[in-house]
Amino acid sequence: MNGPDDIDLNRVWVNVAAEIWRRQPGRAERTAARLLRSPGLARALVTTPSLLLPWLIATTIVFAVGALTQLGAGQPLVWLIAPAVAAVGIAYAYGPGLDPAWELSCSMPVSDRLVLLTRAAAVLGVNAGLGLIASAATLGTHVSTGTVQLTIGWLLPMTAACALALAVAVAVRSAIAGAGAGAGAWIILVLAHGAAGGPAGAGSGLSAAALSSVVADANLYLPYLAVAACGAAIVAFATRPQRGLL
Amino acid sequence: MNIELTDVTRTFGRNKAVDGVSLAVGPGVFGLLGPNGAGKTSLLRMLATVLPPSSGTVRLLGRDPARPAARTEIRRRLGYLPQNLGYYPAFTVAEFVEYFALLKEMPAGQVPRAVAAAIERVDLGPKAKSRLRTLSGGMLRRVGIAQAIVNEPELLLFDEPTAGLDPEQRVGFRALIRDLGRQATVVVSTHLVEDVGAACSEVGLMAEGKVVFRGAPDELIAQGAGSELGDSALERGYSAVLAASRKRVAA
Repeated sequence: MNGPDDIDLNRVWVNVAAEIWRRQPGRAERTAARLLRSPGLARALVTTPSLLLPWLIATTIVFAVGALTQLGAGQPLVWLIAPAVAAVGIAYAYGPGLDPAWELSCSMPVSDRLVLLTRAAAVLGVNAGLGLIASAATLGTHVSTGTVQLTIGWLLPMTAACALALAVAVAVRSAIAGAGAGAGAWIILVLAHGAAGGPAGAGSGLSAAALSSVVADANLYLPYLAVAACGAAIVAFATRPQRGLL
Repeated sequence: MNIELTDVTRTFGRNKAVDGVSLAVGPGVFGLLGPNGAGKTSLLRMLATVLPPSSGTVRLLGRDPARPAARTEIRRRLGYLPQNLGYYPAFTVAEFVEYFALLKEMPAGQVPRAVAAAIERVDLGPKAKSRLRTLSGGMLRRVGIAQAIVNEPELLLFDEPTAGLDPEQRVGFRALIRDLGRQATVVVSTHLVEDVGAACSEVGLMAEGKVVFRGAPDELIAQGAGSELGDSALERGYSAVLAASRKRVAA
């Protein structure tokens, strides 16, 4: 039987300290860890609100570009570049300019691109949700036919494209494959819609007006929502609970 | 060998930061010395897989970091303290170390104990629940060291680790890296010659992007025989090697 002299007090203290300092992940973080198959990625996602400035900048850019699309209603190409500008804003919010620990994050096995994609999906998803709520709240007023509707018009497709990209990235564990799938699906959709002539009055063939109608066509809102939901479902299926995760 | 570099070069525009470095380093503490702008940080960033080389081959822990799957494996076994440690001011010490333990893909069940052990090893136990914005520069440096060692890495890279530490803390840090170097490969980039003399089993001296000297600290001391430039024997060796290197470049 060991006497008191044989007790490794340092070891005992480390075990005690581990319990004292242990952080209890919230429900959102536990769910994200299960869905994303990565506690690290989940932590990176839920710490986003604590990195308030990048989040605010990304959100501001998303809505500012949304407003710009309204101003540029007569310039259809604005519709097509708007999502890219918003994505650049989100990327910059994660880059070395604003994320203080970016250099360190780049040396981590959890891909920085996957963190970026997750954050982009979170920002767009939250903003799309806000847009939907605002749209419902102003239903029947002149506001709902203005900026809100137009903003949702491209927030929804961006959310759908991002959800698809994240689903592919998580399923095959490659952010590049995910980004390629999201961008590829978007390009195919724009070209197919443009070739079909878009909605009535948008013109025919691959004109700029026909191409840009892909984000203005209210008939596509539900399909966009369906794609976003399918993306989420694929992530959920591909990431069934496993041992070792939160 | 945990680090194998063959003719590695890194350029930024016209500037050649690292110029044809070949190096093989096994377990132990390897000190990387050199003046400012010698290329130490660029070399360390390549070893941390943050920066790809412009040319040459790099193998870390027996793997090729150019391949994504191998790079991920290397990063799981890597600890890195950058020269400028960015931090999230609202995080506590424990939260910060835990965040990077999770990003290193440690099994979630092992993380709390690993975090506590790392924080204790850098003597920050009493500050574990303190917000990072309330800590001094020296304490933040120790937080950076804690996140680097939390996963018990096989390859540890420290860039100016003792910057901001007081003399007592520096002595403690040297003991820590000697201990870590028993099993892992520890590379310490510094311009503080005394750190190298006290803690490193081997020294590399860089100048103008090249490794101009490699050997044991005693061998570096021997290079300074007869020189009067420097306060300690190691500093005299350091200065003599640098002076000889500059003469060669000028010639």
